[in-house]
Amino acid sequence: MKSAAGIYRRLIGVQVRSQMQYRASFLLDSFTTGFSVLISFVTLALILQRFDNVGGWSLAEVAFLYGMVEVAFGLMDMLFSGFDPDNFGRQVRLGAFDQLLLRPLGITLQVLGSQFLVRRLGRIAQGAAVLLYAIVTLHLHWTLLKLLYLPVVLASLVCFFGGLFIVGATITFWTVESIEAINILTYGGDEMMSYPMHIYPDWMRRFFTFIVPAMFLNYAPALYFLGRPDPLGLPAFAPFLAPAAGIGTLLAALLFWQFGIRHYKSTGT
Amino acid sequence: MRLYLELFKRSFQRMLAYRAATFAGLLTNLFFGLLRAAVMTALYSARPEVAGISLQSAITFTGISQAIISFLSLFGSYEVMTSVYGGDISADLLKPYRYFSSWMARDLGRAAVNILLRGLPLTLAYALLFRITFPAGPAQWLALIVALMLAWAVCFSWRFLVNLAAFWTPEARGIGRFAFSLALFLSGFLMPLRFFPAWFTALCNLTPFPTMVNTVIEIYLGVVSGPALAQALLVQVVWLVILIAAAHLVMRAGVRRLVIQGG
Repeated sequence: MKSAAGIYRRLIGVQVRSQMQYRASFLLDSFTTGFSVLISFVTLALILQRFDNVGGWSLAEVAFLYGMVEVAFGLMDMLFSGFDPDNFGRQVRLGAFDQLLLRPLGITLQVLGSQFLVRRLGRIAQGAAVLLYAIVTLHLHWTLLKLLYLPVVLASLVCFFGGLFIVGATITFWTVESIEAINILTYGGDEMMSYPMHIYPDWMRRFFTFIVPAMFLNYAPALYFLGRPDPLGLPAFAPFLAPAAGIGTLLAALLFWQFGIRHYKSTGT
Repeated sequence: MRLYLELFKRSFQRMLAYRAATFAGLLTNLFFGLLRAAVMTALYSARPEVAGISLQSAITFTGISQAIISFLSLFGSYEVMTSVYGGDISADLLKPYRYFSSWMARDLGRAAVNILLRGLPLTLAYALLFRITFPAGPAQWLALIVALMLAWAVCFSWRFLVNLAAFWTPEARGIGRFAFSLALFLSGFLMPLRFFPAWFTALCNLTPFPTMVNTVIEIYLGVVSGPALAQALLVQVVWLVILIAAAHLVMRAGVRRLVIQGG
């Protein structure tokens, strides 16, 4: 009996090898995946020549938020693409998910290993470039704690977005079609977290603080890294809630996923 | 003509059937609109006007640009590509209609449902949530409708042309994603083109993309009028003619290469 990690490595290995077969197509896809996200940042950079700042934040400061979110979302999109609601909804519709259920292996592991999009490296790379630009331009005051905490925040963001994908995938058990409304949480959350949270209306900010804890994953830690005063009156420990919010979201999503699997009825295809 | 009308009607009815999905799409468009309105407000901070556009007009811009995404299929479509790869195209080519026009009729059905069920409700929601700008007077409304139809036709022709890449490569989706992102970037969808540095706007105006979004927005907001408005509509027509001609030429070259596997 192979270990779970060994099987996962094999499943991913097959994916990587097959996607690398068409080298030119892979390179173009990676570039495009990065390009389609980068255009929103370039647009912001261009129009800030006229507007100077967004809610008091300079381009480099917004770049910090943007870079963190994009690196994390790209990583998540690569690791969790098996749970991508669009893709997963199709598997449910076609009955491919039923095949996975018949195999003598943990279902979560199989879905996780069913898809691994290497081309997302393009998105990660462009996010990293923007983040690097922010860090170089801002002359941040680095401490040991900050250096250690940055990767923790990134990992928490990956868990957070992964949790949202799993919730979206689980919903397709009932709706069969992927519902576009889940994009409000995933892509909407991604877009929203790329800007400082204090620019949003109260109801929106409250929703993304208390129901979906996005606030603690990007804006609050960014205040700490950038050394900016907090205009929203969050508690002093708020920047350090990122791991709790990220892992909490992922665990809650996995519970919902388990619940969904117990109540799953096949479409019969 | 009756044939195309029938295709239009069928596609309209088919789109109408997906009401839950359409409603979910409307909510998503609205949510992104609200996000963009917040960013716009933060950008303006205390300025009453930037590049001849008031904050009220800028917020209206976020609503209108969100309202026309689904009408234009601005994020792209891959239907023709799928029919080339699947082999359905062979049957379509044998049928007694023009391939380009048949897809255009179907796309118009799709577009009509989306403007009715997503575009108009979203604009209405915006009117309830914000103080927004409306076109002043019947002439401007008329110009807007003409501009919208031309924008759809230009956008459709571009999508069709991009889809034809499927004749040359088995993995044309990547090319599609790139072409559609490029259109998004240069169309003035993300921000009104007036906000950009002059060199960038000039660059955009060398492409057909501003005629898909920016022209519609500027006519809606009334920032172009008189001879400038007539010229804007004319530029749309010119790009439409160029793209339709290109689509037909490329299509002819592609069909000559087409090999259908199996039966």
